[in-house]
Amino acid sequence: MPRELPPLSHLQFLALGVILSNDEPGRVIRDVVADYGVGRTGAAFYQLMARLERDGLIDGWYEPVVVGDQAVRERRYRITGAGSRAWRQTRSFYETVAAAAAQGRLSNA
Amino acid sequence: MPDPRLARVLSTLLPQRIVADAFEPAWEDLRVAYLTRRQRLKSPLGMAALRAGYLSLTILLFLDCWRLAIVSWIRRERSAPAGRAHPAITEPKQTERFHMFLYLIRHAFRQLVREPAFTVAALLTLALGVGANAAVFAVVEAVLLRPLPYPSADNLVIVNHRDKQTGITKEFIAIGDFLDLSARQKTFESIGAWGRGETAFMDRDDPYRAEVLGVGANTLDLLGARPALGRSINAEDTRENAPRVMMLGYETWKKRYGGDPTIIGRVIRMEATERQVVGIAPPGFTFPPTATTDVIIPYRFPTVAPAQRKNSWTFAIARLKPGRTLEAAATDLATMSRQFEKEFPQQNLASEYFPVGLRTALAGNTRPALVLLFAAVAVVLLIACANVANLLLARSLGRRREMSVRLALGAGGGRLVAQLLTESLVLALVASVAGLLAAYWGSHALVAVLPQSSDVPGLNDVRINGPVLGFTLGIVVLTTLVFGLVAALTVRSEKAVGVLNASRGSSMGGRARRATSALVVAEVALAIVLLVGAGLILRSFAALLAVDPGFRTENVMTMSVQLPTNRYRERGAREGFYTQAVAQIKAIPGVQEVGMAAVTPLTGNNWTSPFERPEQPVGPGERPPEVGWQLASNGYFKALQIPLVAGRLFDDRDGPNAPPAVIVSEAIQKRFFPNESAVGKRVKLEGDQTAEIVGVVGNIRRAGLRDEPRADMYFAFERPKPSQTTLFVRTASNPEKALPAITAAIKRFEPNAYVSQEQTLAHVASESERVTRVVLWLLGMFAVTSLALAAIGIYGVMSYAVRQRTREIGTRIALGATRSNIVWLVLRQGAVIAAIGTAVGLATGLGTTRFLSSIMYGVKGTDPLTLSVAVVLLVITIMLACYVPARRAASVDPATTLAEQ
Repeated sequence: MPRELPPLSHLQFLALGVILSNDEPGRVIRDVVADYGVGRTGAAFYQLMARLERDGLIDGWYEPVVVGDQAVRERRYRITGAGSRAWRQTRSFYETVAAAAAQGRLSNA
Repeated sequence: MPDPRLARVLSTLLPQRIVADAFEPAWEDLRVAYLTRRQRLKSPLGMAALRAGYLSLTILLFLDCWRLAIVSWIRRERSAPAGRAHPAITEPKQTERFHMFLYLIRHAFRQLVREPAFTVAALLTLALGVGANAAVFAVVEAVLLRPLPYPSADNLVIVNHRDKQTGITKEFIAIGDFLDLSARQKTFESIGAWGRGETAFMDRDDPYRAEVLGVGANTLDLLGARPALGRSINAEDTRENAPRVMMLGYETWKKRYGGDPTIIGRVIRMEATERQVVGIAPPGFTFPPTATTDVIIPYRFPTVAPAQRKNSWTFAIARLKPGRTLEAAATDLATMSRQFEKEFPQQNLASEYFPVGLRTALAGNTRPALVLLFAAVAVVLLIACANVANLLLARSLGRRREMSVRLALGAGGGRLVAQLLTESLVLALVASVAGLLAAYWGSHALVAVLPQSSDVPGLNDVRINGPVLGFTLGIVVLTTLVFGLVAALTVRSEKAVGVLNASRGSSMGGRARRATSALVVAEVALAIVLLVGAGLILRSFAALLAVDPGFRTENVMTMSVQLPTNRYRERGAREGFYTQAVAQIKAIPGVQEVGMAAVTPLTGNNWTSPFERPEQPVGPGERPPEVGWQLASNGYFKALQIPLVAGRLFDDRDGPNAPPAVIVSEAIQKRFFPNESAVGKRVKLEGDQTAEIVGVVGNIRRAGLRDEPRADMYFAFERPKPSQTTLFVRTASNPEKALPAITAAIKRFEPNAYVSQEQTLAHVASESERVTRVVLWLLGMFAVTSLALAAIGIYGVMSYAVRQRTREIGTRIALGATRSNIVWLVLRQGAVIAAIGTAVGLATGLGTTRFLSSIMYGVKGTDPLTLSVAVVLLVITIMLACYVPARRAASVDPATTLAEQ
């Protein structure tokens, strides 16, 4: 099997991981990402999600919610088939690299 | 909350893609976070802080989106394949222009970051100008521009009354006149009666104090208030002897009765009266706009005007017929006033009715003050613009070589102008964001210091909304054009200079030098206009403080006391209350005098009463003159220390069964009894009754400090002892300390007595001139700011001039000029600028002082002292600003400069 770098960055991997099984609002994904010490501004975070959407890895849509007595919208995301595949490939890459490193197969030799 | 309109406006200023990708979803998250936090907050301060916080976050989000747009564009540019043609060649023109715009913005940001000192100075100056303007505009928008909450509110007018004999204007009109005006008028759809009062719901164990709006048959219709439930007040309800009915305010219905629809038809007890609920007012309906309207009751009117036309009064509001103007209504009312004068001369001679637009009537004296402040703050902005233009010009010196090289290499003049304009725009935009934050706090601070009259519309709802944002954007565009064009035009003039000359040094061209000097002259001129204005208001305020109102305001506490009418219907009950309450209050340590009266002085009240001596009746077709009316007790004169000039004050001899007695002021003695004592003479009352004048007291300024002392007639409080009065309590020291004991003494006798408006008389006097104080404070602040900006401007110009003339100064010193010669040489140049600016400013300032006329008191627009002080202050400031560069010039080392030559 040819060796390839993962299709996703750490951050993309993390974001897709949050919505792997359920769709979630953007702010939830952003909170999880922030827990990992990623201090992206709201705008920068949504720009990242928009790029994932354009690459066909996720679907995004607005959903009305009621907070207090006000109706507002929130952006929700779900992972696509291509997104799931990319996430699995990336996980597989990390697992392979981790296993190889554990067995000392990632040395200069 | 973060205003969706703000988001919409900001989103139009961003590239479409970044709006869809980042701005929109991130802003929706901000709203969710805001609303979630808002649910947990209770205090108004916390809410205000939350709103301010989220307003800032929205603006930061906007700026962040611009950052992302620029970064994305740079990345795209860098990652373009080597073989690919430049976008400027292959892409459509619109995209090219957008890329160029992004480039210019990026370049502008870079320039600003590179020169932090310039950027901070320019941003602070502009933020001050934009912020102050937006803050004052936010209040102007809320009070003077925002539509009133009634359909076609511009057609609503208040009918006022002017007594041409005394010059007194009253907002209420006699009931007889009201009925005849309603029947004869031709320019209004209708005229409606209205009035305000207070009552208490007594239908449950928890009495509820309610604000009442009294209306005529058509008042609600002309205000466009259709009932939310049930029916409105109609003509039947306003007939004499009609069943007592009422409408509930929508909010009161919801709050007190849980929105119960079966309330219609129910009878509710309100103090001594029972009324049947016939309808619910529409949601949010109040009149006047900022008052509370808990209950609406019908006023009862006779069907024809009574013979005694002025035995009761009402406020009147009218709606103009479509296409009719205020002027037409004024003519119509004047015509009817003349008819009344002929038909009822004894009551209506020299009486005139006139209309005032509802908004104008509600805004009162806040309107001229706001217009004045708005003009003053615009002047501050102009000075700020001039200063920033000067800063830009000075900065352009350092970039002269860059500009010249770019011109020589073929860059178009238009491109350089566009770049400079973009730099100005970026500067102005960033400043406006800071200015908007300043405006948010500034506008609320301004509202806090303006008089809290419940009638001024919009004061309780000042906010940074769409119109304020639009105005601020307008200012940004204007400032960009003003100071950006000045700098840009100088660059265009550089074309003629060329690269070679540029290499000789960084001297400013003659055109630029003239421009900077002209800007400083303009700053000085504008600063002196504000200084003169502030000086005139200061003099007016000092004159007002020196006015003797005719009574002593210090150490007097006043408060309104309302007894429950159902228990104090009998005069005997009221007599008992007042006797015991006064005795108890007098027994409080430190209390010296206790008095009662109907009218609190200095609150604008100008109720009058006809004055006629029975032995000198007015002739047929004449009306007796009007004098001020007051109902006062013996203690009132003592508490206010109004001096007794002759006769006696009211006492036990003036009770309900005694012959009527009055006390008159010295002005009446002088006017009606010039060569005899008024004491013992008689004055006509209603019908055939007369009253004896038992005393003469000193004149007071009753309506306000600006009011001339008028003739006043005092009737004995001891006779009717009404259930509502104002108490005046004089104490030996701080009267506020005695307030709890006074209130407790009242409540001891009547726990349901409603005590309100507790304030010292000194506070009442101070509040009566609050608008003047606010204008003085703000105008003074604007004047000092403009003076400081002008000083900074002239300092910059003189510093530059000294740098330019270093060689010349060195030569002069070498040839024997002393240090003081050199200092004088520089100061003289500053003095010329100051002299021209002062002359222009004084000429302009004298022309503009008439705008201050409604606020000025006891001083003329050409007051020599004010003008002299303003000029001296300005000259000293300018000379101080010039002195530092002058000292620097005097310390030039001739050896060094000659060696350089």
